[in-house]
Formats: sequence, C-alpha cells, structure tokens
Amino acid sequence: MALSTQTITTGFLLPSIHSAPPFFTQQPNPSTQSIATEQWVRLILTYARHRKLFVLRVEDTETGGSDWGEILRNERINRKVLPSHLSSILEAMVAKNVAAYDPPKQTRSVLLYWRLPEEWADVLHEWATSTGQLNTILTFYDITDPPIESPLSNIPVPLLRKAIAILVKSGRAQSIGVADGEGVRFFTPSR
Amino acid sequence: MHRRGVGLAAFDRQEQSQRSFAELSSALSQSQVDHLHLQLNQFRTSLAHFATTHRNSIKNDPSFRYAFQQMCSSIGVDPLAGPRKGGWWAELLGLGDWQYELGVQIIDVCVSTRERNGGLIEMSELIRLVSKLRGVSEGAITEDDIVRSVKTLQPLGAGYQIVEIGGTKMVRSVMKQLDEDQTVILSIAQEEGGRVIEDMLIHRKGWTRDRARAALENMLLRDGLCWLDEQDERSGRAYWIPSAMQWDL
Repeated sequence: MALSTQTITTGFLLPSIHSAPPFFTQQPNPSTQSIATEQWVRLILTYARHRKLFVLRVEDTETGGSDWGEILRNERINRKVLPSHLSSILEAMVAKNVAAYDPPKQTRSVLLYWRLPEEWADVLHEWATSTGQLNTILTFYDITDPPIESPLSNIPVPLLRKAIAILVKSGRAQSIGVADGEGVRFFTPSR
Repeated sequence: MHRRGVGLAAFDRQEQSQRSFAELSSALSQSQVDHLHLQLNQFRTSLAHFATTHRNSIKNDPSFRYAFQQMCSSIGVDPLAGPRKGGWWAELLGLGDWQYELGVQIIDVCVSTRERNGGLIEMSELIRLVSKLRGVSEGAITEDDIVRSVKTLQPLGAGYQIVEIGGTKMVRSVMKQLDEDQTVILSIAQEEGGRVIEDMLIHRKGWTRDRARAALENMLLRDGLCWLDEQDERSGRAYWIPSAMQWDL
C-alpha cells in the first residue's frame, strides 16, 4: 500500500501521513507520540489557515460534517480521531503557544493561532492604514465585518482584542468605549 | 673464481669494484623507476582520457558505471572510493565526490525518515527517495551504488549498515541490534505493507500469543519501531511498521 498525498474537495493537500491508519491512534510511545502530535499540529494549522478557521473544539471529532470533518476523519481508510486524542493535541498546541483555550478556564475549545496575535496586530494596523482609516474610530464590528472583505473578516473578538492590546502597548492604537460596545482608533506610531 | 689480490692495492681495487657495482645498481633502479613513472604517466593519461570522454556515461549510466568499477577493481584501483590525499584520479574523475554526495543524500533520507521508520529503511524505498532528491529517474541509482556509498559512511561510526531481513535488503541508520523475533516481524510487515497483528505471528510462525504480544509491544514501547492502530477493523489492535510502508514524501 502506497501512502500518498490527497487533494480534497476544498483544494487542500492532505499529507501522506493522513492516509496511514495508525496516525489516528494516540501513540503509547512518548517519542513516537511527539512526532505524531507535531504532524497533527502542523496539519491543523495549515488547514485552518487554508479555510480561515479560528476555532477547534473537542466536539468536532463527533459532529459529522463539521468544518473539520475531512481532517479529523479519513473515510477512505475508515479512521477518525477520538475526542481524548484531539484533547491531548489541543493541550500540546496550547503548550506550544500556537493556540489558546477560549473561553479560558476550560479545555474543550481553542482559538487557533495560525497567525500569532503579534502578526494579527501588524495585519490589523496595515489594513487600517491601507484603507485610510487611521485616526477614525472603528467599532469591532467595522473590523470583523467590513463592507469589503479583508484579511480580518470574521476574526474572533477575543483574538481581535489581543491584537489591539498589542497595538495599544506599542502606541499604534487606542481603545475607546463607544455607545454600542468597544471601539478602537489607530494611528501612526509616534517616534 | 679469480685470484684474490694481495697487499694494499687489493683494498683499493675491492673498494673500486664495490663503488662501480653500487653505481650500476642505482643506475638500474633509476631506469626502472623512470620506466615505472613513464608507465604510470601513460596509465594516468589514458585513464584521464578515458575519464574525460566517458565521465558523463560513468556518472549517469548505472550499467556503464558498474562495468567501469569492475574494470577498475580488476586492475586494483577503486576510483569510487572517494578522494584521499593525493587521490588524483578521484579528483580527475570527480567520482569520489559523486560517491560522497550520494552518501550525504543517503544520510539525508535516513535521518529525515528516521522519526517515522525508527531508523530502518527498505533498500528500494531508499533508492526511490534518493532518486527523488537528486531529481533523476528511478534506475539511475542502483543498489550497488548504495552499497558502496554506505561503505564509505562506515568511518563515521554512525552505524550505517545494510541488513537483510526476510530476503529484503534494508539500510539501518541507528545502532540498534534487532533480535530474532523482530526480524521475523519485520519480514511479515514487508509482506503485509506494514501492518502486523498478533494472529499473523501465531498462525504463520506458530508463536504463542504471549510471545507475539511481548515482541510487538517491545517494538512499540521500547524501540519505537512501530506505531499502534487501535481502530483496526479485524483485530482492534494492529501494529504498523513505517519502514515497511511506502511513503510519498
């Protein structure tokens, strides 16, 4: 049996390891497990980036037809990731700082950092600059759901908040309370 | 026998003849050395000529390379052994480099696949991956080339070695002794595309269940030579040996 890469319906190229049956079992040997986890982390992040997915939940293993179905399952070899297995992968991702439990204080759901909050901060500031929205007050809704689709469309608010906090720290933004919630104003950093 | 001279003159004469013998002998050996140099030069020129005309064939055509190696070994030189100090022919041919380069690529493949195959790779798989790395079609690198290159790697002491398991040659890149049971398991894995379950060992090899389980669990837990699959339809617990699976990188 040759293990080969597969292009799936969304145009994503699955790595060959995804067609190896044991990839879907949590490995009892710690060093083997860390190799497998590393592969899973890479796969999850590249897929999330490909489809612009921000959230991964342990439940995604059980709900058929979820956004994650074609990653967490492989129908061709009849294998799927079990919830406990995914849970340990999520734990590893949080430990590596490529994901964060969100909401905090639970371990069933994570926010994926296929871009780190620092990188999102740069993207955010660049977007505000290039669309001529410096020095104007923007609501979170203006950012997450802009009339023209942007790299920030649909960014989850907790992640947006983190990115803004980073910009505030470096003097590139200011948080502002607005009537219907939170807002922000961006400006060119003062040197 | 001629009469020995007597008196002081005899000493002179003896010394004289010894001197001329020495001169003669050094003249003789000088001419021999000259002759040898001449021959060597001739050999060098013709080998250089041969190398320059056939260099590409030697590098690219496996059967030609093999024939060339045969010829060289029959005259007692090994142009593929790699450049040594003063290894003018290796430099000339650029073949020592070729062999070392291949060696480096073998290490590359072995190391980069080690995580998943535990440091044991099938010869054909290695050839396939090395060919892919070099961007040459399969068949341009032969088993013979790999065997030679692996030999050049031996001074590194990294444990690169060719082992034969169940009639299949494999290259081992870790210092690990395989015991007899593991060898049997590996050969079954090769027949089965990597998948091994206890029942195979019990039915085909007449092992007891305990022995089969112990051997497989050791490979899994102690050696990291196989991966576990708990979703196997038939047995519920299958062991997969990555070095017996065929991977596309």
